[in-house]
Amino acid sequence: MNSLEGVVVQIQGLSSSAGDISRLHVILKQAEESLRSESTRLSPILNQLDPSNHSLGYLYILEACTSAPVSKEQAAMLVPYIARFISYCAPEQIRLAPEKFIAVCKRFKDQVMLLGTPMRGVAPLQAAVRKLQNSSEHLTTLHPEFLLLCLLAKCYKTGLSILEEDIFEVDQPRDLFLYCYYGGMICIGQKHFRKALELLHNVVTAPMSSINAIAVEAYKKYILVSLIHNGQFSTSLPKYTSSAAQRNLKNHCQPYIELANSYSTGKIAELEQYVRTNGEKFESDNNLGLVKQAVSSMYKRNIQRLTQTYLTLSLQDIANTVQLNSPKEAEMHVLQMIQDGEIFATINQKDGMVRFLEDPEQYKSCEMIERIDSSIQRIMSLSRKLTTMEEQMSCDPQYLAKAGRERQRFDFDDFDTVPQKFNI
Amino acid sequence: MASSSTSSSGLTFKLHPLVIVNISDHYTRVKSQMQQPSSNSNSNSSSNSNSNSNDSVYGCVIGVQRGRTVEIFNSFELLYDESTHSLDRTFLEKKQELYKKVFPHFYILGWYSTGTDAHESDMLIHKALMDINESPVYVLLNPSINHAQKDLPVTIYESEMHVIDGNPQLIFVRSSYTIETVEAERISVDHVAHLKPSDGGSAATQLAAHLTGIHSAIKMLNSRIRVLHHYLLAMQKGDIPCENALLRQVSSLLRRLPAIESEKFQDDFLMEYNDTLLITYLAMFTNCSSTMNELVDKFNTAYDRHSRRGGRTAF
Repeated sequence: MNSLEGVVVQIQGLSSSAGDISRLHVILKQAEESLRSESTRLSPILNQLDPSNHSLGYLYILEACTSAPVSKEQAAMLVPYIARFISYCAPEQIRLAPEKFIAVCKRFKDQVMLLGTPMRGVAPLQAAVRKLQNSSEHLTTLHPEFLLLCLLAKCYKTGLSILEEDIFEVDQPRDLFLYCYYGGMICIGQKHFRKALELLHNVVTAPMSSINAIAVEAYKKYILVSLIHNGQFSTSLPKYTSSAAQRNLKNHCQPYIELANSYSTGKIAELEQYVRTNGEKFESDNNLGLVKQAVSSMYKRNIQRLTQTYLTLSLQDIANTVQLNSPKEAEMHVLQMIQDGEIFATINQKDGMVRFLEDPEQYKSCEMIERIDSSIQRIMSLSRKLTTMEEQMSCDPQYLAKAGRERQRFDFDDFDTVPQKFNI
Repeated sequence: MASSSTSSSGLTFKLHPLVIVNISDHYTRVKSQMQQPSSNSNSNSSSNSNSNSNDSVYGCVIGVQRGRTVEIFNSFELLYDESTHSLDRTFLEKKQELYKKVFPHFYILGWYSTGTDAHESDMLIHKALMDINESPVYVLLNPSINHAQKDLPVTIYESEMHVIDGNPQLIFVRSSYTIETVEAERISVDHVAHLKPSDGGSAATQLAAHLTGIHSAIKMLNSRIRVLHHYLLAMQKGDIPCENALLRQVSSLLRRLPAIESEKFQDDFLMEYNDTLLITYLAMFTNCSSTMNELVDKFNTAYDRHSRRGGRTAF
């Protein structure tokens, strides 16, 4: 008990300046074992400390508190403490012990899920993510946890705000996979299919030394979203995909690839037949809803194909070509597509004719100038980042070793003294 | 001492750009061929010494004089003889003969030199030439680069007999001149001014050169308008007395502007602006894509465990 009191006094005393805090950090690291052994008696201690001034000390004690498995009642008691801590803690102090902070937040998430109220964890975790990040381009381990809570709590909009940022720095590869996968699911929930496609594409093409389950699941969703958004799907993956993915992904997603093939024929009846026969497979992957959306997007594709052939068409003809039941349904579909901006057309209700128009954008307006200008700025900063990355890669010893080796094998005609291997 | 009064002879001088280019080229060549820097390197100070510094170059200008108009077409270099403080006479006459054969109408109109100001010693050379041409001209090029100066650093001097302290003396007086160009000269000056790269055929360099030209023109227009604006503001505040003639000119200039406010102009202008922006965007895109491609290739070489052993196939 004495050591505990001593630790508390230290925390209260040494939390003012940066130099003191590093000393405190050392002391706390040494006291870790003793703290953990007394985990049951730590809760009242927390009341003596202030989360915003004594963040580091509070963090250590909290981490020791939660290290043991907790029951539901204990969880109910701890959750408000942790939530309060996260909202009040000082970012500079907790960045000194990021693993502890991450551990605390993860346990917080587990407790919140144990209590069955994921909504309570959304706001604190969002604050936690912001405090842990070094910059808005930094992906921490807390990002996927936060997105998972958003998914479970069904508050997709909060998740979207985090997804808006571009990521350039990643702590752990697993974080990236989970982040993009959950992010893709959130975007699907919000019907932002373009962004979902982008995120799922990242999972599928991320560097991986061997195939992992997240990538397989993501690939299944990727196929479906690609059908919904683009109306087509190509099985060839870009060349920056890892070879592990290129070889193995397709084998695990066979029913989806066949679905895509049947989609490309354009016949709705066949597609629906296929979905019916393989329903359980899609159901077991929790993808049945998405599959149904893909089927209904088939109508949109067919109508879009019509715009390329015809200038005007009657609603009845549209209904017949697209295999809809009535001109009324065709009118609903066309109206929806015009509102979403997917086609440009006018419906003449008197004689039931639809006239397809060209894209009215003349690129003559000032708003277009601003759009292009902002795109140019973005791409310039991206170009700078890419150049630095490429330079770093050129200096990478692994790359130099392999490049040197390959070169020696085939250069018969220059006899300069290139070493066999770069021993760096 | 060279006077800064203007000439009263009533002659109009027309100078061709070829002469200016020749003089500057002569000076540049001589300067760059000198192995050591000259011992008296601060030669820009107007010294009264008779020996001209090593930095000046000399030559003759030739052209046509019709009535009151003197048109200077061409020039050639001459050697300055330090010992006699005069130009090499034999060489000059030989060159004159040769030029006469090709250009029968051209006469020796005078001579040129480089420096900041006309000196006393120049008068000796000037007098020596007076037997070829009774009133020679002296073209002086100032080779020092002054970024603030907007006009050409070329001055034309004539000699006049003035009575100073009871003695009639020949002194240099400044004359005004205009630049006269033939079509061929205009094209070549344009070329030199834009310093087009040697393979100026590709579209990218042409576009870049075109846009650079427009950019510098607009920059100059902007700075001039700013000067006018400052001036008008000062006039409004009362710092400077109102000058009605200037105000009338400014208002007539402004009244010409609304002619470009029409809607059709806006449309065309915005469309062209957008086109240029799109070209920039596309160029950046291509740049990024190629960098990305390189990066991916390098990454695949470095980290992919089962990278292709392909490379170049055996011949």
